[in-house]
Amino acid sequence: MTKFLNHHPSSEMLVEFSAGTLDTATSICVSAHLHFCKCCRNEVARLNEIGAQLMYEAQPEAIIDNGLFDKVMAQIDQPQPAVENSREKTDISGFPTHVNKLLNDAQNTPVWKRLSSSMEVAKLFTGQSKFEVALHKICAGGVTPKHDHRGLEYTVVLKGSFSDEKSVYTQGDFIIREPGDVHQPMGAKNGECICLSAREAPIKLKSILGLILNPWLRVNPS
Amino acid sequence: MDKINQSAPKVAIFKSTEKRDDIWSVLLVEVGTSQDRSAFAQLFEHYAPLLKSFAQASRQDGWFPGLAEDLVQEVMIKVWQKAGGYNPQKASATTWIYTVARNCRIDMLRRKCNTQHLPLENEDFWHEPDEATPVSLLRQKRTEEHVKLSLEQLPQEQDEILRKVYLEGKSHTEASQELDLPLGTVKSRVRLGLHKLQILVAPEFKKELVND
Repeated sequence: MTKFLNHHPSSEMLVEFSAGTLDTATSICVSAHLHFCKCCRNEVARLNEIGAQLMYEAQPEAIIDNGLFDKVMAQIDQPQPAVENSREKTDISGFPTHVNKLLNDAQNTPVWKRLSSSMEVAKLFTGQSKFEVALHKICAGGVTPKHDHRGLEYTVVLKGSFSDEKSVYTQGDFIIREPGDVHQPMGAKNGECICLSAREAPIKLKSILGLILNPWLRVNPS
Repeated sequence: MDKINQSAPKVAIFKSTEKRDDIWSVLLVEVGTSQDRSAFAQLFEHYAPLLKSFAQASRQDGWFPGLAEDLVQEVMIKVWQKAGGYNPQKASATTWIYTVARNCRIDMLRRKCNTQHLPLENEDFWHEPDEATPVSLLRQKRTEEHVKLSLEQLPQEQDEILRKVYLEGKSHTEASQELDLPLGTVKSRVRLGLHKLQILVAPEFKKELVND
């Protein structure tokens, strides 16, 4: 399928992703974008060549203990533990594999909670403490409150599309928002929109209601 | 190392324009298709020292030298287990093994720094390269060769940062602190390096390239 995506992670992020130095939550978002974007997948494949070549040229060459090969062979001959597969899985078709894995995490099953008449949220447990990672669902034509950001926020559209004052975002688009970026996302009229997001700090509502609610808004990285 | 078969590496059997013909990729295919232990022994002999050097280069928080041989073991076991999924049309053995090593290194660190349950492994973020066509294989091989040749010719200041990021495992921010340089300088040196290696695609070209 040919897709035209307008919003990509920066090359710096792809470098850090390929080198493995990007934090877990951001990697989850970048990887979700790669699921949809062939162009960035190819760029990461080329970036991996740097790591491979640097590893290949490593000097001085390390000395390997004589026993290590035998240790590896001994482990290879051990029977593989059976993968438990008893639990029923509810994969959402078209979603990136790792997002489905988080949705199916038996120890921390995500729960959809209603935020407003047009929006639901399900927090995802990712085992890190920097970003709150969640899925947001906006109903068809749903309007969300106008807000600013108090920290970095990465969003990847997984299903449907939404728009704000700046652009229209479709499946696979990778969006970065920083403090000072004020917007009011609106779900497309033709169907619900589901986004993956990683948020460093709570949003800041711009409406009069924000005066009351803003001090109480929190993120819970997990 | 007495188990290692010292016989001469098998001769490449593919035409170079069509398939990957370096001996390591051929050996890795043999491990994958027929669990060939002597092929695996040759791969071990070649890659174990490289993997150990890669592990020793790490300067990540929480990493210590004692982990180097653990990493070699873990990576080589994964190589044996996953070789069946290796497709020489998509990547060279070296690149494929590098990605396994990078993923293992991150996961080992995460497990060391975390006692709680971790729902994902780094491998889960990884995407198989796209189905290779003759054109994309040629392009991929050209990138490999180009990176190989141009890395040696990179200005020292660009080379230094790429090594910090890929070998030491430092983020751009950490690299800027350690080298006492503004973050913008670090980013622009990385960018210049990537241009020299002909890896970068300018954002304005991304739209067209999605379609190729």
